[in-house]
Amino acid sequence: MFHFILADLRRNWIGALILVLLIALATALGVSVTLQERALRLGSARAAAAFDLVVGAAGSETQLILSSIFLQPAPLPLLPPETMGALRADARVDNAVPVGFGDFVAGYPIVGTTADAVRMLGGLAEGEGFSHMGDAVVGAQVARSIGDSFHPFHGTVGEAGEVHSHVEYRVVGRMAPTGTPWDRAILVPIQSVWETHADHDHSHGPVESAGLAAVASVPHADDHDHGSGFAGQTVDESELLHADNPGVPAILVKPKSIADAYNLRQQYRTETTLAVFPGEVLTRLYGTLGDARRVLGFVAMGAQALVGAAILMVVAVHVLQRRRQIGALRAFGASRPVVMGMVWMEVFVLVAAGVICGFAIGYAIVRAISGHLAESSGVAMPVEFQAGDLWTLAGLLAACAVATFLPALIAYRQSPAQALRA
Amino acid sequence: MLALSVEGLQVRYPGLPVPALDLPSLSLPAGEKAALVGPSGSGKTTFINIVTGMDRAGAGRVAWNDRNIAALPEGGRDRWRARNVGLVMQDFHLFAGLSAEANVLLPQRLSHLRLPSGTRAWARELLARVGIERPDQRVGTMSRGQMQRVAVARALVGRPGLIVADEPTASLDAEAGAAVADLLVELAGEAGSTLIVASHDARLVERMGCTLRLENGRLAE
Repeated sequence: MFHFILADLRRNWIGALILVLLIALATALGVSVTLQERALRLGSARAAAAFDLVVGAAGSETQLILSSIFLQPAPLPLLPPETMGALRADARVDNAVPVGFGDFVAGYPIVGTTADAVRMLGGLAEGEGFSHMGDAVVGAQVARSIGDSFHPFHGTVGEAGEVHSHVEYRVVGRMAPTGTPWDRAILVPIQSVWETHADHDHSHGPVESAGLAAVASVPHADDHDHGSGFAGQTVDESELLHADNPGVPAILVKPKSIADAYNLRQQYRTETTLAVFPGEVLTRLYGTLGDARRVLGFVAMGAQALVGAAILMVVAVHVLQRRRQIGALRAFGASRPVVMGMVWMEVFVLVAAGVICGFAIGYAIVRAISGHLAESSGVAMPVEFQAGDLWTLAGLLAACAVATFLPALIAYRQSPAQALRA
Repeated sequence: MLALSVEGLQVRYPGLPVPALDLPSLSLPAGEKAALVGPSGSGKTTFINIVTGMDRAGAGRVAWNDRNIAALPEGGRDRWRARNVGLVMQDFHLFAGLSAEANVLLPQRLSHLRLPSGTRAWARELLARVGIERPDQRVGTMSRGQMQRVAVARALVGRPGLIVADEPTASLDAEAGAAVADLLVELAGEAGSTLIVASHDARLVERMGCTLRLENGRLAE
């Protein structure tokens, strides 16, 4: 029986291969929609989980999260300068670090923050934290080595911006991987960003672009020499506590306890400030995207159903064409269940092989896409099957087992004499 | 060894006023070699289908050694045929992807969970007997004469009590046809099997012990 099935498959190997490929691709489509959506959702959720509470100026919560955690630049309003000092002095706060952005180098966002941000995000893998204005700490995925130096570009990623040629940073440390977009960030002292933009914007007038460009309008009291002396200056942490700093667009807060987190969130939801848990914003976002996912899912399912129906047709025609062969098997003494079993097994082996290959192909596709996305966004994308997927696979195979009975029934129903006459 | 006894057999097809086959009484002794002759459409194929149990008899009794196969359900007829009948057909019905030996063994494999011991050796012996020198050659690469000889070996491998051949030489050239005819007659004789051959081949017909001539579904004496 197995000899016969194998010989038959070997004889029709091109057709069998095409059939398996078709089924595999249709299955892969559905699998990749499910897996990719899951990878995006889990990846962004895990990225956001590294951040407890984000405080920003009143405005869009979603934009605040996108800008501060996913480092997508947008013109955010600035927090009042005293907020930073108040949060750092608050007893409920373990740590509060500013996030200032607006500059880039080679596609990597430059984030102005404080040295303890490195500690909050998981520490250094090599080198040391920044202590001078010209020091920079790079994320795990940034292609810069310790000792490299660079000039920041003003503007957004992908746009040719204006180079701040008078400012030069030198890489002094590299962070451990965090699985967040911060793996692609270059961390520099917020004070140096203030300096850079104060100068830049003094000479060019207010600029409407992202983040700290808005600092332009804030009069800058100090009159530093921005030349060679700049990079060597020690970072003055006390500046953060003064009310006369230019302000920042967002502050990442690590509260001491969950109760403190809720308290702080409550307290900083005011007319001028906004406090959000990244998780709650993402949940709302997923709720909105859920419909899109469902539509995609339906499209994939529809495609699979169509392919499935087409394949059943092909198989049925194939079985009808083999009526004589099947009749001959019966004539030589094969019983109806044996003939039916053979036809069924042959079809089912093809369909099952296709479905299983489809899962593998879908997984490979999503791995490739997610790897690419992770590289460009810094968000680690977990591509994984869950226990429920096994049930889906089992259900799919069971459905195939039932569906492939249809062609087998054709083989069952005719007498050998009828089949031989065909 | 099987003896045939047919009584009151009538086979009708829907839409046809006269029966396709109408045999009030017919008997063949065990071991008989019968030629089945008659023009196309005279009922030869119908007769073969009925006596081998491949089709249902409408009315009447078709008994081999007192076993009335007309009364058996389809599954029962399949089992009976698998045990008792060796078939040789005009267009061979060999499976091109399988070797000669696998083709010979296929009916046994399909009707037994495991090959009965000795079957493989017997199959090789039969293949050697019909002049197939390489049992593992794919039948797709064989000549038509060779194919029909493989089919003869296949018909005999189950040691059937009845061998039925439907135009076994019609699609072969004269030489190959003669070889196949010789083998059929000799091997059926050696096994003591009853042999029924439907044929237009005069040389094959005259080697049979008796001739059943069918005309319009009836026996013509």
